Amino acid sequence: MKKTKLTGVALSLMIASSAIAKNVTLEVTAWKGNEAEPAGFGTLLPKFHAENPNIKIELNYISRGDTNVVLPPRLQSGKNAPDIMMVDMPLVKVWGDAGLLKDLGTDSSWFNNVLPSIKNSLISNNALYVQPIEVVGLGNFVNLDLLAKAGISEPPKTIDDLLTACQKLDAKGIVPMLFSAGLSGSMFVVANGIDLSDAEPWALGSGQSKFADNQGFNKSLDITRQLIDANCFDPKLQAGLDPWTTSLTEFRSGNVAMLPQGAWNMKAFDEQEGLNYVFTSLPSNQTTGIALDTFAMGWAISSTTKHSEEAQLFLDFFSRDENLAILLKEDSGYSPYSNGTSGLSSLAQGYNDARDAGNIVMWPVYMNHWPATMEAATIDGVASLLLKPSMDNEDILEVWDEVVEDSL
Amino acid sequence: MKIKSIYLFTLPALLVMLIFYLYPIALSFKMSFTDFTGVGIANDVGWKNYDRIFSRQRYLDAIQITFTFSFIVVIIQNLIGLFFAALLFKMPTIRNFCRAALFTPSMMSFVIVGYVWQFIYSPYNGGLNSLLGSIGLESLQHTWLGDPSTALFAITATHIWMFVGYSCAIFLAGFANIPADIQEAGRLDGASAWQRFRYLELPLLAPSITINIVLSTIGTLKTFELPFIMTGGGPVGSTRTLSLEIMQNLFGQYKFGFAGALSIVMLIVIIFIVFFLNRFLKNKEDNL
Repeated sequence: MKKTKLTGVALSLMIASSAIAKNVTLEVTAWKGNEAEPAGFGTLLPKFHAENPNIKIELNYISRGDTNVVLPPRLQSGKNAPDIMMVDMPLVKVWGDAGLLKDLGTDSSWFNNVLPSIKNSLISNNALYVQPIEVVGLGNFVNLDLLAKAGISEPPKTIDDLLTACQKLDAKGIVPMLFSAGLSGSMFVVANGIDLSDAEPWALGSGQSKFADNQGFNKSLDITRQLIDANCFDPKLQAGLDPWTTSLTEFRSGNVAMLPQGAWNMKAFDEQEGLNYVFTSLPSNQTTGIALDTFAMGWAISSTTKHSEEAQLFLDFFSRDENLAILLKEDSGYSPYSNGTSGLSSLAQGYNDARDAGNIVMWPVYMNHWPATMEAATIDGVASLLLKPSMDNEDILEVWDEVVEDSL
Repeated sequence: MKIKSIYLFTLPALLVMLIFYLYPIALSFKMSFTDFTGVGIANDVGWKNYDRIFSRQRYLDAIQITFTFSFIVVIIQNLIGLFFAALLFKMPTIRNFCRAALFTPSMMSFVIVGYVWQFIYSPYNGGLNSLLGSIGLESLQHTWLGDPSTALFAITATHIWMFVGYSCAIFLAGFANIPADIQEAGRLDGASAWQRFRYLELPLLAPSITINIVLSTIGTLKTFELPFIMTGGGPVGSTRTLSLEIMQNLFGQYKFGFAGALSIVMLIVIIFIVFFLNRFLKNKEDNL
């Protein structure tokens, strides 16, 4: 009898150990990890495999644009979905609401540590579908050498400082800033609008509160006119300026003193010989300026995965600061967790100061606070103002209200 | 029986058309009455998507921009293509080289062409403004893609540059089909070069004109690549074509149902225009 029991126990242990040691391959899709944007995956994936020898990661690079096309049919089929997918908040909304993503649960060890500025926005329909891995800063790149030529020692943080800096730079024949409607101008108007607004961004994005009646956005458009009057930029040149090619080339070439853009450009700017720059906050009514943060990306698990536990181990791996720091350093991003290691160098101290002071505005489209259609509407609105600064704020803001109404 | 069996041979082709052409159109039509986001369940919204298209100025503007773009490109591209073809037809020694040179841009990627021309039009040290400056025409320097009054024309010029060789190649094929004895008879009757072109060559090029106009009309009515790359539809929607609007609704905003409705509107517009254009041009050909 005793012998039979022992044999039974031994057999159970064998079966259990073989189950644990069973090799599993997880398919992970991401728009990072290729040669152009390695994001530390070359270090992180072997490290994960060393810690979890029975889990093999098959990383498939799919650009963000292609993610829209390639993954929905696979998710919808329910049989061929990747186990883990890199997502941003607009994708979380569409895929999560359709029941294609696994609810990660708010009792996860990492969830309590998520930054307060994004924590509540991660919940969609009472479920948590995404584990954040990177927050990106959108701020003001400042060429210190050009500022020094105009006798300015510090990058401007307030609107008054910015207006003064523009006048001094312009007097010296230096182009003070680029303000493309496609990004830089929209960033500035949205960040200041939300900062000065008495309504929450999601109230504006859901039609509960109107842009046309909003003091913050009216004031933000007025500030833009002040920048035009102070010769910060030629408004007509900015309306159709490409933010991804010409703007970056002009700043990198040292032809312009300031450029509102994303922190992801720091790596390229660091490699530019002779470019003495800092990345600082967007000038605003706050003494530190505003840090315009945006949710860059996170991980989501497919609701149909057969390897839920292993996928969870992958997510846990990225929630550990020592691992996430590798990704963030290569990607010039911020940790989405309190006290997480920042991936930005000391050149971003000005931006960090605004974040530390709590002067953070989240980019509303990428937090799902505003409908996706508002991105194009914002760009059009700012372009309209740049082309015709005399136009009424109401004419711009009523269109935004109409766009929100259409999305409901 | 024999006729019936002949029709049986068309079945595979009809089946392919049904599966790959008609079924997707029927699916898009069905989708256009829903709020489908690309995944999940599609809820019926009735005529709401169509109502929105015709009640919002934005979409009517997109249709108008598409027509303007198409009209300018079809006219100018074909006129320049015809000019080069007529010229090259008279110069057989350099014809093949020039035809290849003119045709090359149409084989290039839209992305490359879009970015190159974006730099040419750039207000900051762009090639076109620099050229104007260097020949003393500073007064003509302009923010070509930044001004709503010129942005569409700037993209139109790029499109024409890209595809003029394509039109030229078709016209050259048309010239090659003109019998030499007709040309000879014209010369013997003392017709000038212009008279031979106007009264002999041009009428005989009618089939090439029809092909060129129909192909370029369909191509331009569907265009989205250059506006997408060069301006993103801006500034202030001045270059937002109907196809670009569809793309942005599909992959930027996940409004598949609405994009489906826009696609159906575009399909009807294209069928209507091409049907009447084709009929008009065929009548012209028949009356020659």
